Parts: sequence; C-alpha cells; structure tokens
Amino acid sequence: MSSRIPAGMRYYIGDEARLRRKVEDVAMSVFQGWDYEEVITPSVDYYDLFEQGMGEREAQRGFRFTDNDGRLLALRPDVTSSVARMAATLLSDRPRPLRFCYAAPVFRQQTQSHAEWRRENTQLGCELIGINGKSADLEVLRLAAEILSRLELQSSYCITINNVEIFNGVAADLNLEPRAREELRRLIDTRQGAELQQFLRDCGAGEARAFLRPTQLTGKLEVIQAARSVITNTRSVAALDSLEALWTAIESHGLQDAFEIDLGDVSSLDYYTGLSLKIFVHGAGSSVGRGGRYDGLTGSFGRAEPAVGFVLNLDALTEVLGRRGAAGQ
Amino acid sequence: MITIAIAKGRMQESALSLLARAGIRLSGDAVNSRRLALMDETGQYRFIFAKPADVPVYVEHGIADCGVVGRDVLLESQADLLLPLDLGIARCRIVVAAVDAHAMTKVQGMIRVATKYSQIASAHFGARGIPVEIIQLSGSVELAPALGLADMIVDLVETGVTLRENGLTVVEEIAESTGRLVVNRASYQLKAGEVSRLVNALQSVL
Repeated sequence: MSSRIPAGMRYYIGDEARLRRKVEDVAMSVFQGWDYEEVITPSVDYYDLFEQGMGEREAQRGFRFTDNDGRLLALRPDVTSSVARMAATLLSDRPRPLRFCYAAPVFRQQTQSHAEWRRENTQLGCELIGINGKSADLEVLRLAAEILSRLELQSSYCITINNVEIFNGVAADLNLEPRAREELRRLIDTRQGAELQQFLRDCGAGEARAFLRPTQLTGKLEVIQAARSVITNTRSVAALDSLEALWTAIESHGLQDAFEIDLGDVSSLDYYTGLSLKIFVHGAGSSVGRGGRYDGLTGSFGRAEPAVGFVLNLDALTEVLGRRGAAGQ
Repeated sequence: MITIAIAKGRMQESALSLLARAGIRLSGDAVNSRRLALMDETGQYRFIFAKPADVPVYVEHGIADCGVVGRDVLLESQADLLLPLDLGIARCRIVVAAVDAHAMTKVQGMIRVATKYSQIASAHFGARGIPVEIIQLSGSVELAPALGLADMIVDLVETGVTLRENGLTVVEEIAESTGRLVVNRASYQLKAGEVSRLVNALQSVL
C-alpha cells in the first residue's frame, strides 16, 4: 500500500474542515436568501456534455474514462454545463426565471496556472436562467458582494467586470483572421502595452487603442469614457452602454468601492456572451472566482435563453481565511 | 508596499540601475549585504533576490507582486503572468547551435538536443514536426556536442564567444530575450495604484 496521495489532492482536518464548512454554509445561506434553489448534479457525466458546455480546450482538462458501452465519461470539470442541460430539457416547462445554486467539487487535470495546483476544487456557484439585462447581471454581482462581505472580507476583495462584446466588436470590425484575433486577445490579456501598440501600427486598428489603457490600469467609470473616445463600431458601443448602465446601478447600491472595470479581462471570450467578471481577494495570488453571461450555452441543448452566473472557489477562500485567522490570533 | 522579485545574476545589476533611474533606490550598504530581502529608501518597495527560474514562481503565487526576469525564463516556465513592460535590459538571444552550420538541413530521423531550456526546445522543434530527444542539463551545455552527448544545443547567447571557443555556430535563432517586468494577476487589480505607479516610473526612463 502506497502512502502517497495524487498531486493536487489534499485532506482537511479539524479546524480547517470546520472553517471550510462555515464558508460553504455562509455562501449557501446567502444564495437561499435570494431564492436560489439548491441543485445537486451528477458527479460523472458524458464527456460530450462538458465539451459542448465548456468548449473543447477546457473540457479536455477533465479526468476521462469509458462507460461499459465504450462512450467517454468524465468526472465533472464544471457544474454549469449540467445545470444548463437540465434547464433546457428536464425543466423546459417550468416558468422562468430559474434560480439555482450549488456547492460541488469539480475535477480538472492540468491547470492553467502553476499557482492553482489543486485538481479538486469545490465550486460555490449560482445560475440565473431565463432573464436578460441589467437587473439579472446586477443580481449576481450583488450576491457575490454579499457573500464576500458576510465572510468579513469587506475592503479586501475586488470584483472586476467587463463586457466581452467590446472586444468582439473591435475584432469583428478589423476582420482579423483567427490567428491574428487570438494574438490581439493574448496581448491584451497579458497587458503587453508596447507589443499591442506595435500590433496596432501593423494593422491600423485605431479602435483597439481603447485597450491600451487597461494594459496600464483598471478603474471606474473613466475607463468607459476613455474607451468611448476611440470606439465607434455599433456592437462595441452597445456593450459599452450596457456596461455603463450596470456600473451606474452598482453605484446606486453604494458598491462602487468593491468593483473595478477591466476592459483587459479577455480570458474567456469563447464562453461568455456579455458580462464577464473575476473575483480577487488579498492573500490569494490568483482569482478566487469568476463568472458572466453565457446566453449561447442553453441553446446547444435545444432551448436558447439568457443565463448568467458565477462560481467562487471554496478551497481558495478557505486557505485565505485560514491564514488570516492564524495571523489574527 | 509592494514586493519586487529580482532575478539574481546577469539581470540584477542592470535591473537595479534602471530602478534607481526611476527613483527607486536601495542604499549602498543594503546592496552589498548578503540579505535576500531588502527595503528601498522610502519603504514603499521590498526587494527579494531569487534565482531567475524562481522569479515567475514567486510572482505567480503572489508572494511577490512584481518581478524582473528574462524572457527566456518566462518562455521556459509558461507561468500565467502579466507582462506590462519590456525593460530592454540584459539583451541576448535563444539559439540553436551545432558544430556544422548546415546541421538543420541534414536532419534525419531524429536529433538529440542538449539544453537547460527543455520546454522552449521541444516547442521549437515540435512546431516543425522534427522528433527530438531532449537532454536536460543544468550548465555548460556547450560541451555536449563536442563530447558526443548531443547533436545540437539550445542555449542563451550574449556575445557568441563561448559558442565559438567550443567549436559551435548558431544554426537558428529561436527568440530574442530581454528583461521584462512581470506582474501578478491579483496584485494588478488589488494594488492597482501602486503597480501603475511602478509601471509609469519605469516607463518614463526606458
């Protein structure tokens, strides 16, 4: 019998397990306070489901094995795919909107970042399906903010928001071939200001200058104003309008200190269709949560409808809170 | 306060003088001491000095908010970092070198490549469908072809003197490498003001 445990797996014992349970309880009680119904999805599902739900590149990170009949199965690498299928099939007759929440482990093999070493993560997540627009986006943002302040992380977290259609509009206007579009995305994502400027000189893309600012910093409403001075294509302008309206709503709830607008967040363009968000907490070297609007997803299961949601990483949150507790004692 | 990880060795001196020109100075005593973590004169910046390959590790984990390290190290580590500035310091090239200048046209079946940069080497040859056996070494890579351990090497070249003295010539250039400022993704958002002050200060002296 080997004493080793596989890479990316761990135990939680005693105090740590109790803290982890507490974080989970806080999140689930906030979700339930906003009328989100708990859902428990299968741990194992067809690989096809995740390929359709997450895109091929992300789904390939799942642990895969075969069913008795030879079909490919996967240990779930995300929960959203399964919830989207359920909404479009099993619950297609239920009145909208649907509100679901979950606390469930997901399994992913190679991670993007070396700092995210875990291969088992518990996602605390929610999905709001069947309503579109600002009020739905605002609802999930307020939920995320409420969970983080209930965890006593006020003033040590930051939620960045963006609308992926701003980039998509600029890229479509430039008529970039897929490889050049990916290069533009990568330069913006990694904030390579000088290289981005060179790229702009080479392809004469005046509008893409809007992304030079986020390569230097993120900010509040002034980021949108700066973008408006160079972006004129209708698709991006519509996205800027809706991001600005969302920002105004955030301000009217007095939450502007916890939020930042980051037009440079272009990491999951193929997945999200409007709002995208990332959650950062002091003490964690990478984001502890992400989410956005994914109106394209349920359509692939036969019933196209708007949807928005986010996940928080329970394990990363527990680690940050555990270290804080230890430092405070 | 933000923490900056500096790659020790060939990058260190030019990085510190660039930072000094940007108004971020270590006292002379501190630089000459053997301590590996130091504060600057104003107390706004903490410096840590690490082996080049460890700089992306510190920054990716958020232990350091920023780092100064060569592009060669970043290509090899595949770390998920932000790269706001090319500092243009410690310029050099990552090359393929062999005894025979026409070695690439004579490749048959597969080649043995000795290198410290196994990721860069396998990506470079892999992209062209050339099968390679990567022989991972940790130093004095130039010896390998002469001793018959490998057909070619992938290594960093500054002047080319070491290559020539060991009877090697550059067959291909893979990439140019210079010192880069790297930033942790979370620090970029959570310490936006401090990070942008540093970026702007450095940019103004480039």
